[in-house]
Amino acid sequence: MRHWFALAAKSAWNRRLTLGLIVAAVALSVMLLLGVERARRDAREGFAQSVSGTDLIVGARTSPVQLMLYAVFRIGEATNNIRWDAYQAIARHPLVAWTIPISLGDSHRGFPVLGTSAAYFDHFRYGDSRPLALAAGKPFADVFDAVLGAEVAEQLGYRVGDRIVLSHGIGGIGLPEHADKPFTVSGILQRTGTPVDRTVHVSLEAIQAIHLDWQGGAPVPGFSIPAQFVRKFDLTPKEITAALVGLKSRAAVFKMQRYVDDYPGEPLLAVLPGVALDELWQVVGVAENTLLALSAMVVVVGLAGLVAVVLAGLNERRREIAVLRAVGASARGVFALLMTEGLFVTLLGCAAGVVLLLGLTLLVAPLAQSRYGITVQPRLLSLAELRLLGLVVLVGVAASVVPGYRAYRLSLADGLTPRL
Amino acid sequence: MVSGMPPAIVELTETLYRWSPGETPCLDIPAFAMRAGERLFLYGPSGSGKSTLLGVLGGVLVPERGSVRVLGNELRGASAPARDRFRADHVGLIFQQFNLIPYLSALENVLLACRFSRRREERAAGEGGARAAAARLMHHLDLEPALHSRLATRLSVGQQQRVAAARALIGRPELVIADEPTSALDAERQAIFLELLLRECTQAGSALLFVSHDRRLARAFDRETDISSITRSNAYREAA
Amino acid sequence: MIRVALALVFALAQPALAADKYRVGERLRQSTARPAAGASYQTIRWDALVPEGWDPARDLRGINLAMLNDGDRRATEALEKMKKAWDEAPIEPAWNGQRVRLPGFVVPLERVNEEVTEFLLVPYFGACIHVPPPPANQIIHVFPAKPVKNLRTMDAVWVIGVLDTTRSEALKGGNEAMGMAVAGYRMKAEQISPYKGPAR
Repeated sequence: MRHWFALAAKSAWNRRLTLGLIVAAVALSVMLLLGVERARRDAREGFAQSVSGTDLIVGARTSPVQLMLYAVFRIGEATNNIRWDAYQAIARHPLVAWTIPISLGDSHRGFPVLGTSAAYFDHFRYGDSRPLALAAGKPFADVFDAVLGAEVAEQLGYRVGDRIVLSHGIGGIGLPEHADKPFTVSGILQRTGTPVDRTVHVSLEAIQAIHLDWQGGAPVPGFSIPAQFVRKFDLTPKEITAALVGLKSRAAVFKMQRYVDDYPGEPLLAVLPGVALDELWQVVGVAENTLLALSAMVVVVGLAGLVAVVLAGLNERRREIAVLRAVGASARGVFALLMTEGLFVTLLGCAAGVVLLLGLTLLVAPLAQSRYGITVQPRLLSLAELRLLGLVVLVGVAASVVPGYRAYRLSLADGLTPRL
Repeated sequence: MVSGMPPAIVELTETLYRWSPGETPCLDIPAFAMRAGERLFLYGPSGSGKSTLLGVLGGVLVPERGSVRVLGNELRGASAPARDRFRADHVGLIFQQFNLIPYLSALENVLLACRFSRRREERAAGEGGARAAAARLMHHLDLEPALHSRLATRLSVGQQQRVAAARALIGRPELVIADEPTSALDAERQAIFLELLLRECTQAGSALLFVSHDRRLARAFDRETDISSITRSNAYREAA
Repeated sequence: MIRVALALVFALAQPALAADKYRVGERLRQSTARPAAGASYQTIRWDALVPEGWDPARDLRGINLAMLNDGDRRATEALEKMKKAWDEAPIEPAWNGQRVRLPGFVVPLERVNEEVTEFLLVPYFGACIHVPPPPANQIIHVFPAKPVKNLRTMDAVWVIGVLDTTRSEALKGGNEAMGMAVAGYRMKAEQISPYKGPAR
């Protein structure tokens, strides 16, 4: 039976045009299937490691998932802000160890701007409790200092000392600019593989400063305060978008959460990042499963094509089969030959699909990094992916039973001399 | 020289075959035998039941009744895989055309017989390796070395038939069955082919059952017989 | 735009989210089965973690509600006092160093590569979502010995590990003045397995 594989390979090569198309179809569908699975895992890992060591995220009352998305991942926009005194009440609470206030709303050439305090550089953790580290320069000291994430600096080619201008709003192009108040890059952070990389960090005072002479989202015409005079004003923020909170005892998180939720006079929401992430995955899980099911369907379609092509070609191969029978092949052997051909094509398709996946990964990686801050790298196949591949091969072999059986019946009927 | 007849390698007794129950049988043979090394010309035009006979002798068709003994082995009761193995080990087959696997080379086609029969492979290998034996055999059949690695589809009909003959003969099977092997060749090539085939069969010690509708070729054979004289069935007469 | 999409998906996914087996406030059934021979832990119930004699509802019990007028301040005050006592629930230091086994629901705190490295264990379902949170002596801050795969919020698990009450004692001093207990049980978990309770 060992000679079947060599024979099947040569036979397949003989029909390489049609089978090649099938291999391509299977390869594309396998690439899709593995791609969906890998994107799923990479997204989860990327998201999960964006925040660490934070007990609660506090923001205006909205859905927990939405709060997570804009506070941690800078995706989407906040519906409302929280007042400064509400934030201070929380910061002063005896259960609280540290807080990081954040303010969102501006952008720079497509990258979100984050207003925050020095606490950000002290307390923010990501991944496996890793702190932020500067690759160059230092955190902001002056009002108009900015600290750039690694991706921002790399993509826009900025260095410490460069001047940048912020835009009002998030959207890319065509936004009004705070042109009269340029910022100086004081520091650049090391790469983290999280949304921090694509963020421009400034102080909360800076956010106040650039909006001093603005009213309701636009500059007041005929009235502007020059940059050098802003410091004369009180730059304490009136509102912030959200706050990251660290507690003295993690077990007290529920108590703190209730305190925030019940805070009088201000609709607030406090979420546990771990729980909100799980909720996000539950919601996204429906879409993920749908995508996976669809990709599986596509693979089945590809394999159905294989069956169709092989079945269609069987009639022409009756003489070939008769020759094999004459030489001593059994009808079961003919079945084995067809099955081996099917297995061969499926394996080839899977291998080609993996190669295509690699190509796709290399293509998509820079996009994922710059748009979402998710790191996508070419990796060895994970166990889950290998299992999927195994399933594909199994289905391919099972599908090959159809032409195999047909060939078996044909060989029995034809005997040594097919009536063609 | 030991006196006495060589052993019978084929013995059919009261063998009856019909395609489906209720139909007229297409083969009804009270007795048929061939001896080892015998060269038998069997006259049988298409429709005479010769394909059925070949199928039965090859172990692909199982008669409804009777006995089919090849080399002393009763084929009728044997399982399909056993019959297939038997055919691979002891019988070489040549057909009128399309004898070869199109995507294999001439040499690979010849060696196909060894792939399916360990016995024939060993017998061929004993003469210096299966490949060498195949090459030698092809040389005897007037196929020069340049043709050995050529794909079967690139060979002329005459060359294809000779490759088929080489495959039927490699490993020296006891019985070679040739079904109209020369019918697709022109007259000149027919004679050459027949001569080569007979010579190699003698060399290999194989019996040859040569089926054809061209009686002129019968001259070279030990025995000539008509299929209608072997079988009682009326299929031939009806088809005529 | 992404908000609209999320809201839509969320709305569509509601049925899936509600598909959990447990109802809010439901507790896990604890088996009375004996632990495996040679095991050095004891299976406990959540109320075992409450110190003897601690009864936050004591004041409320003393009041004969039937005798009060409607809207009487004493009833409300007593209720408030009970809630406050609930907040400041003390822990039982005798549990320090004890190896125990008990079931609960998971609230993940820290994750590395989709594996949970820290979580809170609470006695009833939905403890962080809909109902008031459990008192401090009914929350265990668990540190698994090895990061745990496939652990989601509100998964029901059996946990085996050694309890630790020392840290809370150290913190107590600074915050007594504010009357807020920062305390809680900690546990180094040796084994975490999915909950399969006794047959219903």
